[in-house]
Amino acid sequence: MAIVAETSRFSKLSRPVLAWIVGLLFFFPIFWMILTSFKTDADAVKPEFLLFFTPTLENYLNMTENYDYWRFATNSVITSVFATIFALAVGIPCAYAMAFNPSRSTKDVLMWMLSTKMLPAAAVLYPMTFLTKSLGIFDTHFLIVLVLMLINLPIVIWMLFTYFKEIPKDIIEAGQMDGVSTWGEVKEILIPLAWGGIASTALLCFIFCWNEAYWTVRLTTTEAATLSKLIEGNRAPEGLFFGRLSAVSAAAVGPIIVLGWFCQKQLVQGLTFGAVK
Amino acid sequence: MRRAAPGSRVMSDRKLPRLLQTPAVLLLLIWMLIPLGMTLYFSFIRYVLNSLRRPEWTTPSLSNWRGFGNYEFVLNNKDFLFAIQNSLLIVCSILFLTVILGVLIAVLINKAFPGRGIVRVLLISPFFVMPAVNAVLWINMILDPVLGLQGLAVNGINGMIASLQNAPLVGWFFSLWPQLEPISFRATQTSAYAVIIMVTWQWTPFAVLIFMTSLQSEDQQQKEAAVLDGAGLWSQFRFLTLPHLSRPIAIVVMIQAIFHLSLYAEIEIVSRGNGNKNLPYLIGEFANNNIGAASATGIFAVILANIVAIFLLRMIGKTLME
Repeated sequence: MAIVAETSRFSKLSRPVLAWIVGLLFFFPIFWMILTSFKTDADAVKPEFLLFFTPTLENYLNMTENYDYWRFATNSVITSVFATIFALAVGIPCAYAMAFNPSRSTKDVLMWMLSTKMLPAAAVLYPMTFLTKSLGIFDTHFLIVLVLMLINLPIVIWMLFTYFKEIPKDIIEAGQMDGVSTWGEVKEILIPLAWGGIASTALLCFIFCWNEAYWTVRLTTTEAATLSKLIEGNRAPEGLFFGRLSAVSAAAVGPIIVLGWFCQKQLVQGLTFGAVK
Repeated sequence: MRRAAPGSRVMSDRKLPRLLQTPAVLLLLIWMLIPLGMTLYFSFIRYVLNSLRRPEWTTPSLSNWRGFGNYEFVLNNKDFLFAIQNSLLIVCSILFLTVILGVLIAVLINKAFPGRGIVRVLLISPFFVMPAVNAVLWINMILDPVLGLQGLAVNGINGMIASLQNAPLVGWFFSLWPQLEPISFRATQTSAYAVIIMVTWQWTPFAVLIFMTSLQSEDQQQKEAAVLDGAGLWSQFRFLTLPHLSRPIAIVVMIQAIFHLSLYAEIEIVSRGNGNKNLPYLIGEFANNNIGAASATGIFAVILANIVAIFLLRMIGKTLME
């Protein structure tokens, strides 16, 4: 076929080679971080040990000692998990109502919710600091959970809405005919049917919570400080601690990168609000 | 299973949906209105955290009303103009680079080849790196002029040139070559470039992912017809693929604009104290003392973001109820 002939010369060799080069280039900084994390601090800045060195686990073993890693990691896990759970708990009923009983205002409400996401966080920096300090919740897990939940709620509702919309209304209506209560509808019909969608929404929300780097830095000091804060606090090691800093960075992003691989498709939907299909 | 009373079905049709939406709507309403309202209020009063001369300004009371004075102060502040200019430089450069790279890479990996799945995984990974790690990794381990890869590479190349200069026969040729100078990315202007590089690295995967999703819905028959008509690769790209991508490009541009206008962690880590700043960073600086000015700057940032957001929301709104 003409089409095959037209493109084959490029496709056969150049495309894969070029694509692999691009892929490896983009992954290189992460690879470099992981590689450096297995060098001692002294070796990490020596050109003679650039690629060939004696790997060591000491940076990982000493993470607690050097950075108190687990405390920050625990905070990250706690805040992200609870923020995700609460966002789902508030988001599922809301998206359910919007998808199955839409009113004339539903579209506007959804758009308004998205617009809250577009406010620059820095604009309300001082009021947030002021409010949380006077309420006595500054630097608490409660506050970080609340804030993380609120900044991700629009995306959660939006994603759930697009998933729920694809469930045939008849199924829900059949349930209503049988006299199932609303709660029963949600629990026994909606959640089993939309399980995949809910799971990927949760995953994406968790990733966003984990990587959040404005409020988690500005609204914490020590008590509820997350991994973002930990890394931000060690921004300029002046080459002294490249090894250990790489290890703690790799430990901070590793799990999330792996989780991210599983939700590439949902990412498109979650970030473009369903505008790209 | 509880059986619903006949009358309650009427309720669940009207009131219950609204009731189910209430918590979400209420929470977001509070989250948006109260802090933003406070920012708006503070932007119209004289309000500083510490002032020995004018202690009355340290309480946010109406008697310190300043009208548009804070806005005037901010507009006349050279840091503000610099921050706006720098914000735009950073955002526009990132947009330009990510869209160009995104389209090229998406077209490149749109067709099947051995190991495509792995290349996709490699490509998407930077997007999940938390901003703080991104910045620390790039500025220290890669871009540092002495200890980073940049420094090592420059040293290596210089060493190579030096040894070539001593070589017989070709030595005279290489003695004409200059020694390379590593670039420090911690100066005011260069640190903006560092931020552009690291954010482009992080967000190009996002653009690739979206363009790829969109390319999968491209009309293949149309393409085959074009090939039969003798269209080359370039004209296929120019007249079919690019128009098909126009909408995703617009969306990628707007979403990124909104995200990058509030870029913070990267600036904070790369350029703390070296004078490089964008709007969010300037707000943070003002907020150390001059809350009035910080709030007025915040309102400007909201306006700037809204200009982009209106277009974006309109675009999303069109596809919403399909």
